[in-house]
Amino acid sequence: MGDIHEVPRPRIATAHLAQHIGQPVCFVGRVEKIHPTGKLFVLSDGEGKHTTVELSEPLDEELSGVVEVVGKVTNQATIMCASYVQFREDKSPFDLELYNEALKIIHEFREYFPFG
Amino acid sequence: GGYTQSPGGFGSPAGTQAEKKQRIRSQNIVPCTVSQLLAAEQVDETFRIRDVEISQVTVMGIIRHAEKAPTNILYKVDDMTAAPMDVRQWVDTDEAGSENVVVPPGTYVKVAGHLRSFQNKKSLVAFKIMPLENMNEFTTHILEIVNAHMILRKNLMSASRVPQSFSSAGISDMGGYGGGGSLPVNGLTAHQSQVLNLIKNCPVPEGMSLQELKHQLHNMSMATIKQAVEFLSSEGHIYSTVDDDHYKSTDAE
Repeated sequence: MGDIHEVPRPRIATAHLAQHIGQPVCFVGRVEKIHPTGKLFVLSDGEGKHTTVELSEPLDEELSGVVEVVGKVTNQATIMCASYVQFREDKSPFDLELYNEALKIIHEFREYFPFG
Repeated sequence: GGYTQSPGGFGSPAGTQAEKKQRIRSQNIVPCTVSQLLAAEQVDETFRIRDVEISQVTVMGIIRHAEKAPTNILYKVDDMTAAPMDVRQWVDTDEAGSENVVVPPGTYVKVAGHLRSFQNKKSLVAFKIMPLENMNEFTTHILEIVNAHMILRKNLMSASRVPQSFSSAGISDMGGYGGGGSLPVNGLTAHQSQVLNLIKNCPVPEGMSLQELKHQLHNMSMATIKQAVEFLSSEGHIYSTVDDDHYKSTDAE
């Protein structure tokens, strides 16, 4: 998976992409669509804003529901994916809007939730 | 269900007298980020995160790596705030079966354990590792981290400079977790935390009686107290002594 998992990866929403160009981030969103090539997919965050995630290798599985992506923000404000994991929703649906609210809190109170 | 291991939180054989004394002072389980644990400063046996004393902590993250050895399982748990942290879980070699099942990489887990430092490297010794079944717990956890550290810091600033343990009722009662204590903080509701703290601080050999708890906790009905005691007992925080009306804390000195 590489070095990106050894460094802090701030949790962000679509609105924060521009502030993290070139940096490792962690993005959680709901799968909206997958490109036919399987090399890119679109996620929506808790505010409904879309982010494009690119892969170096095409997807080898069905992707749906809520996905957490670790990757680097490109100059085009997309995310170059290093790894991803699907959140389990078999027992309860994931409240993405609440997660977005939590992001606001951890950004506002950075000193109590440090990245790095 | 979960992966409860016997060594660790309650009277661990590795615990020295000094360690047990220190545990009395920081008797709460504090939710933390890996970055906070890595930044914690150590003075003798004590760890501090920005002057707040910590010992037992919870972290939530994804397992990146799992390695099974004869006596322990070593995980690397990643919560995105730093590099993955080493989490060691001792295996009960007498028991075969589910205790020794390794949680697979790619699983989100909640870890409860003690912070350790060896040769300047931090790690956790886990007494509980549980896969998350509901990812909303993760959202709650990150909010609890901010809440807990903010309140711990406030308590520290407003209290006198003498180091003292604060009751986890402080965390539960403030920051909107009060009232019926329906939203658990650190795994315990406000009521459970209050009952546990009274039992922990009771110096009497036969422990605290239900009557004494009722006497001290005016806002709680006997039914609520009994419910809290039953929960704490089943979780292993307390045990009955002379009869079913008297309880002691498993973490007491």
